[in-house]
Amino acid sequence: MAGLTQLLNVARDALTAQSYGLNVTGQNISNASTPGYVRRVAVLETNNLGTQSGGGVRATGLQRITNDYIERREYQATGTSSAATQRDQTLASIESMLNDGGGTGLGSALNDVFASFSALAANPNDTTTRANVLAAAGAFADRANELGNNFAQTQIDLKQQAQDTVDQVNQRAQEIAKLDMQIAQATMAGDDAADLKDQRTQKILNMSGLINTHTFTDGSGNTVVQVAGTTIVDGKNARTLSLDLKADGSLQVFADQSGGGRSEITQFLTGGKLGGIKEARDKDLFDVSSKLNALVFDVATAVNTQHALGTGADGGTGRNLFDVGPTSTNAARDVRVSVDVFNRPDRIAAASNVFSTPGGSDNAVALSKIFDTQIALGNTKTAAQAYGDLIGSIGSARSGSQRDVETQGAILSQVKSMHQSESGVSLEEEMVNLTKYQNAYQAASKMIGVADQLMQTLLNTVGR
Amino acid sequence: MRVTEQMRYDSVSNNLSQLSARQAKAAQEAQTGLRVNLPSDDPIAAAQLARLSASQSQVTARRATITSVRGDAELAESQLQQASDLMATAKEIAMQGGNGALGASERATLALQVKDLKDQLVGVANSRGASGYLFAGSATETKPFSDAGAFSGNDDAHVVDIGNSTPSTVNASGAKAFTAAGGRDVFADLDALYTALTNNDAAAVAASLDGLDTSRSQITNAQAAVGLTLNKLDASDSVQSALDLQNSKSISDVGAADPAKAYSTLMQLNNALQQSVAVSKSILDLAAFKQF
Repeated sequence: MAGLTQLLNVARDALTAQSYGLNVTGQNISNASTPGYVRRVAVLETNNLGTQSGGGVRATGLQRITNDYIERREYQATGTSSAATQRDQTLASIESMLNDGGGTGLGSALNDVFASFSALAANPNDTTTRANVLAAAGAFADRANELGNNFAQTQIDLKQQAQDTVDQVNQRAQEIAKLDMQIAQATMAGDDAADLKDQRTQKILNMSGLINTHTFTDGSGNTVVQVAGTTIVDGKNARTLSLDLKADGSLQVFADQSGGGRSEITQFLTGGKLGGIKEARDKDLFDVSSKLNALVFDVATAVNTQHALGTGADGGTGRNLFDVGPTSTNAARDVRVSVDVFNRPDRIAAASNVFSTPGGSDNAVALSKIFDTQIALGNTKTAAQAYGDLIGSIGSARSGSQRDVETQGAILSQVKSMHQSESGVSLEEEMVNLTKYQNAYQAASKMIGVADQLMQTLLNTVGR
Repeated sequence: MRVTEQMRYDSVSNNLSQLSARQAKAAQEAQTGLRVNLPSDDPIAAAQLARLSASQSQVTARRATITSVRGDAELAESQLQQASDLMATAKEIAMQGGNGALGASERATLALQVKDLKDQLVGVANSRGASGYLFAGSATETKPFSDAGAFSGNDDAHVVDIGNSTPSTVNASGAKAFTAAGGRDVFADLDALYTALTNNDAAAVAASLDGLDTSRSQITNAQAAVGLTLNKLDASDSVQSALDLQNSKSISDVGAADPAKAYSTLMQLNNALQQSVAVSKSILDLAAFKQF
């Protein structure tokens, strides 16, 4: 009798265990395309009845198939790739601002200024030609202003984006700390907390797209999250990052210290969106912007110097063509056609002295000759060469960032693929599992039938 | 390697998006006919293109200058030719007037002709071109010669940049052609002839011949100088037009796409994209559960 009951018990355990397996398989199948879902495997083991053998089966829980090493690689690759993408986006917009393809850009405006001086030399006495010099100078100033303003606006926008990113990092840190607490509670209650762990990994992954993120497990089994070399989540405690501007206008990132105060972590910022913003804003944009300012300043100053030497048709001399500051700082944004000559074509100094007005063209020729003179970059390049350098440097920066995006994207997709290969759901596998558990379940049901039949036979015999 | 669902979708979507990015780039190249649409397409070429277009703009400006000043130079040449013809007529009158057989009334008639000649010459010397009075130096807005022939202009050169190492002078000097600055005052010579004829002084009339000759050759010299200027303009124009051609060629060499290559690349990528879509479809169709 004990044997038959035992058989029933074994069959019952088998049904429970196989349906647990079916359940886990069902979870895997339904989450096959859920981002961050880590496949589970039902852990079945022989029911151990002390020294007795033949104890049947029991499900002891499930296992999340993860690999810490690959996860950390993924955080790192996500950070690097996200920084490259962010930088490339900014460079793309700077590049399109500077693009002179349609001939309406700064380069064409610069060429037009010198062409207008040439035309002035040919026709020094013609009011329309003189007005054209003013128009060309105005167009050059307008283009420079527009670029200068766009660059300044981009700088402000990027600061705002950096602030948003820091806010997001802080929010993620809070969320991760909260999840850590929930996981600790669930684990204590004997739960596997697989879903919570999936969520935490997903949050950390999300964080690694915002800032360079690293994780490790400390002595007591807690997952410690570090960003830019600083611990931000340690168990259920989260710290806060903050953003500021340096005196020179560049970004500064701080981490709150546990004892109060804050420490700067800017120099450890190497990845994530924030790292990309910092690189694009404080290096690339700064670089292009100073080159542009230097070019505009050098051109305006050289033209002014020559123009002031000449004499206008009205006999006046010593006038500037452009109003520009004493240094190249913000020159692109601030350059204007000088109030000395604004709307006064007669004041354009084509002649070299008052005695050769209005037909003298010496000074107009001298102005047009500035085109061939090395006036830019400490008198080492002509204006056109310096402009070519500017275009070349933004081009190299952008093509470099495009290559980075490709390379880092390829690395990331490789790491993701490694991660998926380890932790992702394979529907083929699950199909086999489904069949396996189904068959086992059917067989266990059969066992009950057999035990039942035997029991009936026995009872019938005894009952007679 | 364990292949999972997500890997399949990721790889299909990665490959397709890479391919379509390349296809879009090739399409842009084929559509615009430009290999360098953005500085990042080829930074070195983009910098070169910026410099080439600057140099092209300078060439265009110089050619415009040449066209613009040539009109006045040609006008100056023909006006000086007229002036020289007028002086030739004056000389004929002087030779006629030097004839001892001529009476006082005939000389008086000749004197009137000389006065008329001088008026005409003043008119020629005061001719205007596109940039004002042709023979006034830089005082292009002031009539350079009074009716009496007194000069109020100057000898300033009108210089332009037409690509030579030093600025080129393009105006004709009225001072050197008509006034004492060139050696002889042409109008004074005509005045002398007029006075001699009016005074019925045959000897003085004959004596004026040398001066008239010199005056005429002074005008002819000025005309020759303008001729040289015109030659210089032509020479510069052909240099600049060669540069123009060279620049255009360089710009196209550096920046333009090879149409045949661009088109065949595009076609190739179009096919690749279509095939890739078909292959992707069959990969995604593999899903085990469809067979289950």
